[in-house]
Amino acid sequence: MKPDAMRSRTPAPAVSREQVMQALQGVVDPELAMSIVDLGLVYGVALDAGHVRITVTLTAPGCPLQRAITDWVVRAVGKIPGVEKVDVSVTFDPPWSPDRIRANARS
Amino acid sequence: MRRHPLLPLGYFACAAVAFLLAAMGSVWLASDMAGHYYHPRLLALTHLVTLGWITVAIMGASYQLVPVVLERPIWSERLAGWQLAVMAVAVAGMVSHFALGTGLGLASAAGLLAVGIALHLLNVGLTFRRVTRWTFTARLILLGHGGLTLTTLFGVTLAFNRVWRFLPDDFFPILHAHLLLALFGWVAPMVLGVSARIYPMFLLTPEPSLTVSRVQLWSLTLGVPSVVLGVMDRPPLLALGGFALALTAGSHAASILDMVRGRKRPQLDWSVRFVVTATAFLLPAAVVGLGLAVNFLAGPRPALAFAVLLLGGWISLTIVGMMLKVVPFLVWSRVYGPRAGREPVPTLAQLCWPRAESLAYALLVSGIGLLGATVWLGDVVWIRGAGAVVALGALAFATALARILGHLRSGGVVHVEAHAR
Repeated sequence: MKPDAMRSRTPAPAVSREQVMQALQGVVDPELAMSIVDLGLVYGVALDAGHVRITVTLTAPGCPLQRAITDWVVRAVGKIPGVEKVDVSVTFDPPWSPDRIRANARS
Repeated sequence: MRRHPLLPLGYFACAAVAFLLAAMGSVWLASDMAGHYYHPRLLALTHLVTLGWITVAIMGASYQLVPVVLERPIWSERLAGWQLAVMAVAVAGMVSHFALGTGLGLASAAGLLAVGIALHLLNVGLTFRRVTRWTFTARLILLGHGGLTLTTLFGVTLAFNRVWRFLPDDFFPILHAHLLLALFGWVAPMVLGVSARIYPMFLLTPEPSLTVSRVQLWSLTLGVPSVVLGVMDRPPLLALGGFALALTAGSHAASILDMVRGRKRPQLDWSVRFVVTATAFLLPAAVVGLGLAVNFLAGPRPALAFAVLLLGGWISLTIVGMMLKVVPFLVWSRVYGPRAGREPVPTLAQLCWPRAESLAYALLVSGIGLLGATVWLGDVVWIRGAGAVVALGALAFATALARILGHLRSGGVVHVEAHAR
């Protein structure tokens, strides 16, 4: 990259895991009225510069909210400054159980 | 796995109308309810409850919940849409021809109903073809649809017999078998199977243990053919079947109690309260049912009380609770789901009307309990009073449901603005 181009372009702010988890805190399961973080549905967050890869699960396979929750996660994390791409993968391994709910977050 | 939320909502709306009409019918038909159950108007009322309310609601729930519990999409949503139209016309035909006592009209409506049910069986059957994991719920749903097939065959036979008279003069054993198949062959496995998978999701609690599931599955599998054969030709089997079904009811009630105790969701909303109270109705129903099975009780009075406790108490309150849970979810997903995260939207709980739901709960629970007691006593005035309480409860339920469905019409515009402020 030429030095002029480097000067004209502001470097993208680094994205932290905390920022991602904070954004995911705003993604709420509408039926349970709890954040997917508090429900223990977020299995993993991987950061590669502006590329965020998130692994989530659902309370049950075949959950009708699968597509909606994936969209909400992309939307919420995509708002973080510096995030250029968000990939969400859904896994049921290990299957979710109520034991994963944060004790202080029960509705 | 995208599903159209309007499909189950169409079934639920039709079912709720039938429930309201049936509840009002119990006031109008109080004097008939004080007599024998084999009365044209009472048969019309029973079919309005069992077909229009219970069966249509279960079919609608199937199209929402079967994909969740089987982890497979329904084979054809378009077919399910056509099926609702066929079912609505057939149920209206059956109820009116039962009330009018017209044999040919009833046989025609029963034939049309068989077509509607065959469409449902085809749709669910082709969905099952792709199932690879035979869970407790999957097995019970399959059993339930086997029960629905037999119930329909018995029912169509009885309807055709009104015109062509091919059954023996005493066709009551077949009539009783038809009712028992509907209750324990079709409805009970569906409620047991779906509740084992869905209630843990509502309550945030582990699914029932394998032992409890096996007890329910095997006692039901033994109990249903035993009571059906028992009422038809083998009386000793009736007691055996009665005990087996009482065991099913007991283990189901115990598993629900376990779920409620072990839940990680402390607050119980009105929908869950309906479901838990519905399960409590199993206890008196099991006692009366067992009394009938062992011949300790006999005659139309306890039989009618048994029907009210089971159809009104256990099954109807369960369906009311499930609808108050599923309908807001479907409406929210349809109206607000696409906007969530982009703009302020109400929460799912804000779609509900707890005051109307609590009123419906108080009226339906007390009214159905009272109706069960008064049909046993056979007092017309008290039956009419209990029926009025049930009708008011059904009205409160229908109002709560209509308010939720109103969000579909408004498109959520008013509510989003309100929450944004």
